[in-house]
Amino acid sequence: MRALCWEGVGKLAVRDVPEPAVRSGGDIIVKVRASSVCGSDLHLINGYLPAMREGDILGHEFMGEVVETGPDVRRIKVGDRVVVGSVVACGGCWYCRTEQYSLCDNSNPQPVFTEKLWGHSPAGILGYSHAAGGYSGSHAEYIRVPFGDVGAFTVPDGVPDDSVVFASDAMPTGWMAADFCGLKGGEVVAVWGAGGVGQMAARSAQILGAERVIVIDRLPERLATATQRLGVETINYAETDVLEALRELTAGRGPDACIEAVGMESHDVGPIYAYDRAKQSARLQTDRPTSVRQAIMACRKGGTVSIVGVYAGLVDKFPLGAAMNKALVLRMGQMHAQRYIPMLLDRIAIGEIDPGYLATHPMSLEEGARGYEIFQKKEEGCLRTVLHPQPA
Amino acid sequence: MSSNATRWALAGAATVTAFGVGRVVARRRRRRQPDRADGWYVVHRGITVDRPMEAVVGFWTDRERLDRGLAEWVSLEQLDDSRWRCVATDAGGDGTEWRAEITVVGPGRLSWRVTEGPVAQEGRVELAPAPQDRGTEIRAQLRWRSGPVRRALGLTGGNDPDVALRSALRRIKSLIETGQVLDTRHDPSGRSPKQEQATDRMREKLMAGGRP
Repeated sequence: MRALCWEGVGKLAVRDVPEPAVRSGGDIIVKVRASSVCGSDLHLINGYLPAMREGDILGHEFMGEVVETGPDVRRIKVGDRVVVGSVVACGGCWYCRTEQYSLCDNSNPQPVFTEKLWGHSPAGILGYSHAAGGYSGSHAEYIRVPFGDVGAFTVPDGVPDDSVVFASDAMPTGWMAADFCGLKGGEVVAVWGAGGVGQMAARSAQILGAERVIVIDRLPERLATATQRLGVETINYAETDVLEALRELTAGRGPDACIEAVGMESHDVGPIYAYDRAKQSARLQTDRPTSVRQAIMACRKGGTVSIVGVYAGLVDKFPLGAAMNKALVLRMGQMHAQRYIPMLLDRIAIGEIDPGYLATHPMSLEEGARGYEIFQKKEEGCLRTVLHPQPA
Repeated sequence: MSSNATRWALAGAATVTAFGVGRVVARRRRRRQPDRADGWYVVHRGITVDRPMEAVVGFWTDRERLDRGLAEWVSLEQLDDSRWRCVATDAGGDGTEWRAEITVVGPGRLSWRVTEGPVAQEGRVELAPAPQDRGTEIRAQLRWRSGPVRRALGLTGGNDPDVALRSALRRIKSLIETGQVLDTRHDPSGRSPKQEQATDRMREKLMAGGRP
């Protein structure tokens, strides 16, 4: 079969690879129909998490059709049209029992890397480097999904592939970001990042009761999309001082909750950003935390900062003093896909959330490298490239 | 400053640095060495399984499930009511074969002794209920000997039984909680056979001794 493989820092190519097979009783094989690029892939492609090997297949946000099931699979049937959570969860450990699926004890078969880096090893993630278990990804014609009964969900008829594909990662991540904020109704929520996850977080915050949502980015077309699709207010940080603007928009209080949906390759303007960027290029720090710093500084006293942008290692100049003295609540994590997907599918089915507009660039697998380039450089108004691995 | 004084100053600084670094290295090595008792190395390792004690004991007594779960690494042969013979390939991945005798010493307690293998080894396992409805703690104590020369030099040997123990505990937990142990070694990739071999060696390192 054909698959989009990582060939070294910044290099991707389509190669012929062997087809996956059922290897454990709970495995299912999914024929991939839509597989989205994700901002967190860029950290892997660009070598910021040194756990990629040449030939690894990328992709973790996908949907498709089940073509084979292992002997222990009960709920999922061959022929089901399914969306699969990016995070692999066993369904049998304490973390899965308490619905903290991204912390699953049994789904990372290669735990040494993350155990050394983070003290404990969280769940494996499909197509997400050897730190996350070394699973093959979904930018391929077929993919093996372990614990298929736990991770795959049949999707409602009539919802297009390119819409439901975001129930795999962007939507649950955005929902969890808003869920972390503990909204009771009437809050002001600021969201850093107007990409797929940021937009889904903004929509989720609205549904969960936020009165005003303010989205921050530097790309006018993404901000325009957010305003047009979600009716949110926006701030362009390249033109405006974000902290002052947020203070004024909230009559001096600051947002009740700040969601960070950017991650370790955060952008900003000014000399401190240049300094961070230089340090990260020389690998003197692994992550650039620009937007987290802003979120902490902007958040109202006693508010919540919710981080769903991906960070991997160490950051400099983390304003712990601000977080401590303002008594902030900091919540963060990889999303618990399996906890949110069924509820999100229901909301898609009744039209409460329509993530389809994120798929600005549907492409064939062969165009994958170009798709990532457009996505990374934010060209042509690209929000998400969605690859279609099946031959037309 | 004369060049002689400079030399003395540099030599002094180098000595102090070397002494300091040496002390840090020695302390770090001492801290990472397993405890010793009567010529044995002793380590304690534990893992928490999200099942009640009866279920954990049940796993060991359900012959079919045990065979299915362990077939890849271990074969078990029952000798009498409380004794088993076990043949295992090293969980560290180098294919060394071990033979051991396992004895059930009480409810939720067993001990084992290696009868044939590269390192003299014995150990015992105890089950205890975990707090807060978290299931069962499997607590293992492992004792092993290495040769006199290695011991004198403070080396535990490349074939570290502690790594094997940690791997085994992780596998057992996964088998009890999920009925399977995941492996991504045969997942498809765009690698050549040679690159795949190198990647497999890296995978072994990322698997061996890892804890969740």
